[in-house]
Amino acid sequence: MKRSVLLSLLALVIVVGTFGLVGCGSSDTPAEKTETPSASDLPAGVQEVKDSGKLRVGVKADVPNFGLQDAATGEFKGMEIDLARAVAKRMGLAEDKVEFQAVTAKTRGPLLDNGQIDLVVATFTIKPERLEQWNFSNPYYQDEVGLLVKKSSGVTGLAGLDGKNIGVAQGATTRDAVQAEADAAGIKVKFLEFATYPEINAALESGRVDAFSVDKSILSGYLTEESVILPDGFSPQDYGIASKKGTDDMTTFINDMLTEMESNGEMDALLKKWNLN
Amino acid sequence: MSDILSNIGFLQEGPFAVARWEAVFASIDTLWQGLLITLLVASLGLALALALGIILGVMSASHWRLSRAFARGYVEFFQNTPLLIQIFMLYNAIPLIWPGLFIPVIVIGILGVGMYHGAYIAEVIRAGIQSIGRGQLEASVSQGMTYIQAMRYIIIPQAMKIVLPPMTNQAVNLIKNTSVIAIIAGGDLMYAGDSFAGRYGHYGPTYVLVGLGYFLLCFPLAMLARRLEEQSRVA
Repeated sequence: MKRSVLLSLLALVIVVGTFGLVGCGSSDTPAEKTETPSASDLPAGVQEVKDSGKLRVGVKADVPNFGLQDAATGEFKGMEIDLARAVAKRMGLAEDKVEFQAVTAKTRGPLLDNGQIDLVVATFTIKPERLEQWNFSNPYYQDEVGLLVKKSSGVTGLAGLDGKNIGVAQGATTRDAVQAEADAAGIKVKFLEFATYPEINAALESGRVDAFSVDKSILSGYLTEESVILPDGFSPQDYGIASKKGTDDMTTFINDMLTEMESNGEMDALLKKWNLN
Repeated sequence: MSDILSNIGFLQEGPFAVARWEAVFASIDTLWQGLLITLLVASLGLALALALGIILGVMSASHWRLSRAFARGYVEFFQNTPLLIQIFMLYNAIPLIWPGLFIPVIVIGILGVGMYHGAYIAEVIRAGIQSIGRGQLEASVSQGMTYIQAMRYIIIPQAMKIVLPPMTNQAVNLIKNTSVIAIIAGGDLMYAGDSFAGRYGHYGPTYVLVGLGYFLLCFPLAMLARRLEEQSRVA
């Protein structure tokens, strides 16, 4: 009996150990390779991605105007999709060599770390604690956190949500932003976290939460006849393009592109195209 | 020693870095809270599942057609729809049908896993009862016992020995399935882990510890199942 207990524990340790080692292997390799100089005109870290033949990008599938997947065709559309295509174009990759993968606030970090995607362009807010874990480009869009409530609730501002439940997305910065604002206003709110926006929306409709809180650009996609986005907006958030920690070549490459797009008017045109300015 | 440690790459950077483990252990209370909720939902859910399972198991082994039909219907409904949908319906559909009726998430968890695994336990018990020779029931009835008495004193005690190992497996599954209430913000161990990993990004150590938490709850039960199985083989 005792021996079988020991054997089982040993098996557990081996399983956990293997996971750790796999994580180690994949996180070390790219960092080493970026140091080797390359003869080509692209920086080594960018050339490496180009050599793989495709650019794999994590995008939102449920945020109108930013990243939305057409249910019928499976095609991704939005400002962030165009931005990802622009990166690929600058790298010299054909448009059909961009592979989009839908991510959520919860999955985008791990997917970058384990190397399943090269970039995340998915309403990813730049935060100090995130900068310790991933590389971020300069901001390409600024948004603020908002609140969506049912018209029938009669709530007209954050103060009206005292003692109420607020639905937020797991892995988003919303919770801390709203908490700080509620503390400042001297009210108490309770947070319920869900994995996806449709789940929060369902909870709002059934009355499980009194407000749906996330970045305003995302909220606009869930606005209906019966709901309203409160005028309150807080903690402006900067969206950046994220890549794995240590891929500095790629980040510099993207920053150069963003600066260029700002100065030649391409960024303005892009925002106008998606009604974002 | 520290030389060796500093050469192990995955302890220095990446999802499993030492600093991340420290950050998670600094806020380990969140996970303990989640574990307590999981324990509460699992234990009350198990009590409900056992009660339902025994009643329905006896009903489906009985000779009254109506009670058999009822038990059959119940078992088929719960065995053939995902627990996830049952939970989601209890959470979101009930308040839409009856405005203002908000069943607390903990209660939804208990009802959800209790009713779901009640169906499986009923099947285990029915099989156990039917494995006891028909002569046992006939002998008890011929001694003047009613059907209920024969079940209570003769059949079920014998069947128990047979059904205990598969029933313990159901208990283990029940504990693991309590994790579905994470999708309705249930506050359980899985939710606490998701929430913590999402907010601070230390998902490596967080999910290892969450997994370990479920393991610690389930492993003793699985061992018990093995021991019971060995005993019933000896006897």
